Amino acid sequence: MSRIGVFVCHCGENISRTVDVERVAAYAAQLPGVAYATDYKYMCSDPGQNLLKKAVAEHQLTGIVVAACSPRMHEKTFRKAAQAAGLNPFMCDMANIREHCSWVHENRDEATAKASDIVRLMVERVKRGKVLEPITVPVTKRSLVIGGGIAGIQAALDIADAGHQVVLVEREPSIGGHMAQLSETFPTLDCSQCIMTPKMVDAANHPNITLYSWSEIESIDGYIGNFSVTIRRKARSVDEDKCTGCGVCMAKCPQKKIPNVFDRNLGLRTAIYVPFPQAVPNTPVIDREHCLKFKTGKCGLCAKACGPQAIDFEQQDQLVTEPVGAIVVATGFDLYSIDRKPEGSSIEGYGEFGYGTIPDVIDGLTFERLASASGPTGGKILRPSDGKEPKQVVFIQCVGSRAREKGISYCSKICCMYTAKHTMLYHHKVHDGRAYVFYMDARTPGKCYDEFWRRAVEEEEAVYIRGMVSRLYQRGDKVVVMGSDTLVGVQVEIEADLVVLATAVQAQPNADSLAQKLGISYDKYNFYSEAHAKLRPVECATAGIYLAGACQGPKDIPDTVSQASAAAAKVMTLFAKDQLEREPIVARVNERNCVGCFACRKVCPYGAIEEKEIRDRQGNLIRTVAHVNPGVCGGCGTCQATCPSKSVELDGYTDEQIVAMIEAL
Amino acid sequence: MQQNHTQLADDSYFAAVTNAIRTETTKLLSEGTVAAVIGYQAGTRAGTVIPTIITDAAKAGDLVFSPGCVNNLALYLTKAKKEVRPAGKVAIIAKGCDMRALAGLLGESQLKREELHIIGVACVGVKGAGAGSGEALTTGTIARKCRECTVRAPEGADVVVGAVPPLPEFSPVEAEELARLEAMTPAERWAFWKGHFSRCIRCMACRQVCPFCYCEQCLCDRNRPQALETTPRPAGNMAWHIVRAMHLAGRCAGCTECERACPMDIPLNLLNRKMARELKTLYDFEAGLVPVEKGPLTEYREEDDQSFIK
Repeated sequence: MSRIGVFVCHCGENISRTVDVERVAAYAAQLPGVAYATDYKYMCSDPGQNLLKKAVAEHQLTGIVVAACSPRMHEKTFRKAAQAAGLNPFMCDMANIREHCSWVHENRDEATAKASDIVRLMVERVKRGKVLEPITVPVTKRSLVIGGGIAGIQAALDIADAGHQVVLVEREPSIGGHMAQLSETFPTLDCSQCIMTPKMVDAANHPNITLYSWSEIESIDGYIGNFSVTIRRKARSVDEDKCTGCGVCMAKCPQKKIPNVFDRNLGLRTAIYVPFPQAVPNTPVIDREHCLKFKTGKCGLCAKACGPQAIDFEQQDQLVTEPVGAIVVATGFDLYSIDRKPEGSSIEGYGEFGYGTIPDVIDGLTFERLASASGPTGGKILRPSDGKEPKQVVFIQCVGSRAREKGISYCSKICCMYTAKHTMLYHHKVHDGRAYVFYMDARTPGKCYDEFWRRAVEEEEAVYIRGMVSRLYQRGDKVVVMGSDTLVGVQVEIEADLVVLATAVQAQPNADSLAQKLGISYDKYNFYSEAHAKLRPVECATAGIYLAGACQGPKDIPDTVSQASAAAAKVMTLFAKDQLEREPIVARVNERNCVGCFACRKVCPYGAIEEKEIRDRQGNLIRTVAHVNPGVCGGCGTCQATCPSKSVELDGYTDEQIVAMIEAL
Repeated sequence: MQQNHTQLADDSYFAAVTNAIRTETTKLLSEGTVAAVIGYQAGTRAGTVIPTIITDAAKAGDLVFSPGCVNNLALYLTKAKKEVRPAGKVAIIAKGCDMRALAGLLGESQLKREELHIIGVACVGVKGAGAGSGEALTTGTIARKCRECTVRAPEGADVVVGAVPPLPEFSPVEAEELARLEAMTPAERWAFWKGHFSRCIRCMACRQVCPFCYCEQCLCDRNRPQALETTPRPAGNMAWHIVRAMHLAGRCAGCTECERACPMDIPLNLLNRKMARELKTLYDFEAGLVPVEKGPLTEYREEDDQSFIK
């Protein structure tokens, strides 16, 4: 005979404002199987939990229903309390009378009646509940880090320094990401390469880090503590073990005029190339699209010149599989060319700004390459069209960002600061030049950020004009910028030599397909979603996967590094245990009834269904039935819904429990 | 009436098929290739047949093939009939339509192809309901499903016996019936099925004869919790027939055995065909053409129709 205790929470006034909690408790008290019912102002508080624990002892309760908020909020809290009182934690369930009732209803009588219904249903469920024991699974103490920008490098270094193996996967030929492209960084103006390249080298040389550059994630199987990752190592056409990085191959390559993407196509590279001189690893890649050997079959000059004979034209993509226990996703961002509406995108173009049609309209990252000492101009600010030094530069902020009508409503966060930095760099390099900035608001929260911006305005002579630009057009060798100064209330027209657009920070173009491989969620802009905006900002809702950097949303370097270290800390927390405890809400097969049609295996999103052979004592095979691997099962219940003979059930959500709830309604 | 109908195949066709089956059976059993052959033997009344399982080569002469061979023998390979299914490798006589059931069972891990020797019959057609046991196979007596058959020559069999003589064009009956059903308003359709299902006596013949109802314990026999009411009452009957239709959707091979076995003449196969039509329309899927790993109802594809999400 069940002895259920029902604890009805006021949630301050959140519930009691619309639900008569005393009436609900009184109603619950007379339900068959309920031994005790009460209400309390804050059930989750210390006194509230004590009340629950005391009642378990006093009334010999066998199960508990807490009528309060969503189980996502406090199920863990109350299960812990139930456990402390000597009950099996899974004999404690939440009746959600807040989100499902008080918050969405106004009529007090009706809400009270509905709350009573919800409580009655949950009592029926707990009555038929079973004692469940946690499942333990081993933890593979190796981590995968996807993306070798500053986020990925920082996370990889932190985890590796803690003594765990890290597999660092980078899509490009070199790690470094966007930070390696930057000139100087706000708010201190230290050289980006100078602080970045030592970290790149540290990551590559770390004994605990395996670096796969020029590689991509092919597929991911498994679950927290036990992922299996297949990585596609794209054919480099250069043997990484043999190559010494001497660079003779690049000197010999006859294809010398290929635009270098790393330099935003301003600089040129050869067909066998490293994207930039400080690349890590310093092993070239053959760009098979442009290589004469691959195009015509004739050439091979690099192979002839290579001393250690590292060139391998026959090299194929290789798939390697790595077992890991945790995954840090640090795939970063992309700047969108919003000159026109990209195909399939909901984002409108900015044709009026001439990006892509007027050569001297560039984006912020291109300006970084112009300002970088290792860039295509050696750090001289020279405009792309004729290589002249621009004397008037117009910077336009919020191009794409904060423009709901164009499709992006968020703030890209870094542009106010980097545009202020750009004006300073420009001022330092072109003393007689003038920088104008069209801006909507200057958003400078952050340590020393506002001071930095004030410095640009007050000491570095940048002219800030509050207002947007309506149109750009070419007049002779000038770009005419027409806009408004909303503070003064006049129309402004500036003849610029160069225009720099602070274009929106967006998710990587293939961010969604990686998310689907990982089984993590993403928002409508394809930025990856954290488990909780405030309290779990680096964890994904999918256990064992963590986020670092701008793949989650626009971030500057300090925020990215902080989040990367936070993600590393989460990985280390996971690796601190040898065994991982999992909730025992997993499916279980009734082997007597299962006919082995394996419809469950077809629908299982976790790959948790295995074949199990049932044999008699002589070892003869009697039948093959489905078996759920409890370590892999995610507890979604899809198998239960699919099984034609009802031979598989989810513990905690058995058909008996669910039907009892329906019948009680 | 009958004089207006033409006979579809003369006796020599059936004799040839019968002989070929016997020869093949003798060979298979005497060489030990298979442990048993599932086929048809003559029934007690002339012109009728009953399913049989032959394990002795000397009994091969009992096997026949006639216009009365309506049964889908795939049934005897399922776990629900495990008491009759012989151990080891088994040969089975399969018409083109029966092949669909075999393909489905292979896809659902119920059979292993290597444990199966399929003797396919190139089939003229079998007789439908209402045809007397003594009547010949004519354009009038042929089963409705055979009028619209697209699989007279079975594909994927280990051996095919017989050769189909030229056949006349048949006017479709089943297609017209389905068109009539689809022309009904939802309310009319509901009334149509309610009327039929209210007559159901829950004898479960439809389940017992269906090669896809191979669960050893059907969910309608479960009582904790009870999924379906077991007494023949309209509401429970409706529930059973909906469950049956849904469980067969995307799987039903269209052998029409359910309809043949139904003592209350409920047009069960009409419902099955309606479900098949839905799957064809929604997912461009046809059951039983080849063994598939995943049917449309156990698979999600991005291009799947999602217009039902509103």
